[in-house]
Amino acid sequence: MLGKTLKGFLLVWLLSGCQPAEDKLVITGSSTISPLMAELAEQFEAQSGIQVDVQSGGSGRGISDARQGLADFGMVSRALKTDEQDLTAHLIGRDGIAMIVNAANPVTALSNAEIVAIYTGEQQNWSSLGGNDAAITVVHKADGRSTQELFLAHFGLNNDQVQPDMVIGENQQGIKAVANDVNAIGYVSIGTAIYEADAGAPLRLLPLSGVPATLESVDQGRYPLSRELNLVSQGELSETASQLLDFMTDPDRAATYHDYYFLPVSR
Amino acid sequence: MRWPDRLAGMIGGLLLLAVLVPMGLMLWSLLEQGAGVLSMDFLLEDPRQAGRAGGIAALLVSTGWILAVCLLVAVPVGLGCALYLSEQVPAGTRRAQWLGGVLDMLAAVPSIVYGLFGYQFFAISLGLGFSILSGALALALMVLPLMIRSAEQALRGVPMSYRQASEALSISRWGWVRRILVPQAAPGIAVGIILSIGRALAETAVLLFTAGYVLRQPDSLLDSGRALSVHIYDLAMNVPGGMPRAAATGLVLVAILVILNLLVRRWLRPAQGAWQ
Repeated sequence: MLGKTLKGFLLVWLLSGCQPAEDKLVITGSSTISPLMAELAEQFEAQSGIQVDVQSGGSGRGISDARQGLADFGMVSRALKTDEQDLTAHLIGRDGIAMIVNAANPVTALSNAEIVAIYTGEQQNWSSLGGNDAAITVVHKADGRSTQELFLAHFGLNNDQVQPDMVIGENQQGIKAVANDVNAIGYVSIGTAIYEADAGAPLRLLPLSGVPATLESVDQGRYPLSRELNLVSQGELSETASQLLDFMTDPDRAATYHDYYFLPVSR
Repeated sequence: MRWPDRLAGMIGGLLLLAVLVPMGLMLWSLLEQGAGVLSMDFLLEDPRQAGRAGGIAALLVSTGWILAVCLLVAVPVGLGCALYLSEQVPAGTRRAQWLGGVLDMLAAVPSIVYGLFGYQFFAISLGLGFSILSGALALALMVLPLMIRSAEQALRGVPMSYRQASEALSISRWGWVRRILVPQAAPGIAVGIILSIGRALAETAVLLFTAGYVLRQPDSLLDSGRALSVHIYDLAMNVPGGMPRAAATGLVLVAILVILNLLVRRWLRPAQGAWQ
């Protein structure tokens, strides 16, 4: 009995190994991009019949999987760094990073200097910033998250200077942390923040250097803390890979980008 | 009853309540958020829009395959190791203590470590990529220590007198193992397997980097497939507006685990003592 089952499985295994896997694309990386990517992949699959596997895990993983040949494309939600020039970046969209506080917090704007003071622990109470007399809960992102790298670069901070009360991973975790704590401050993808605020989460997006945190201001290039959404690849693109890239940057996809509160690149 | 005894009883009851209340609240919050989308269609439809629409049919299939392959590897290997330990390594010896200690240590290794190892070894070195096979093998590694330890304990629990009787009847070693030892220990071994299934079903970290996130129905064991637990994690963490379906998937997973538990109880009850 057990022998038969084993043989059956071995057969399945061997047969499955025979299946051609060449017209399948693997895309891994940024958890910011992956929900959008998963939906676009679904549409692409329905149209072309080419399978696209989307794996999440962070921009760092996108870079390393593309390098190791484990993925046809890595999703990276920032521009490539100088030591990553062995990879080719294909811009597919834009996103901004918003500073968020709880909607019950009376503070409606913070200067860059104030944000730096909060994150370095110099300013630990909301009262001198026009808020309640309460300790500030500083929500910071974990290493390897591109949101964190962009945040640090924008404010000229070094990760060692930051004194976080809470270190988080994904965007949704940041949303939950700030929505559940009146005294928290954090930063997440603008798209996610707008979506959750519209859906009723008690959040306020703070303007940055006087520019409101909206998709329009990101689109106009006025919003100071915006980022590229890239697919990165190594070496030459296969035909199916460039097909997918064309599909993603087609103006017809704009509605899907907006569903996830990202901006498509205009061709 | 003397009053200190009564007081102790009351405190015990309160403590029990303190444990049960959060569990009830947890289930309630899952129900509150997820009941709206829970329906027969939710179980029978494939997910759409990164999981924000549609159901979880493809995930049930992936989870089933991952679990099946995991058990197919872990049960024979686990039972083999347990037999070796119980038959060849006398209890209380230094070797038994060493091996037991190593197994206990392996059981305590955080599951993300198994996940990263599975990613490096099965996905990259063996070239299995993100696949159900990679995930199931990494998962098998994770549950093996638990499986071996519980099977070993069940095997060691078989009374010495049975062994002596079988030796007196000069039954072969293989006959003893197959006809007496394993059937006698079967209920204990089964409990170990069920515990392992529970751990495997609840496991997320091992599967993130191995079986992966793909929402499609898998065509083969070399396809990537998302398990229920990974789906809950991804919907709750990465997908804006994914919470209701994350909660509904959580309810399904809890229901599966409860049913599994009830089945085992029912299955084990008449078996106890009646095993020949």
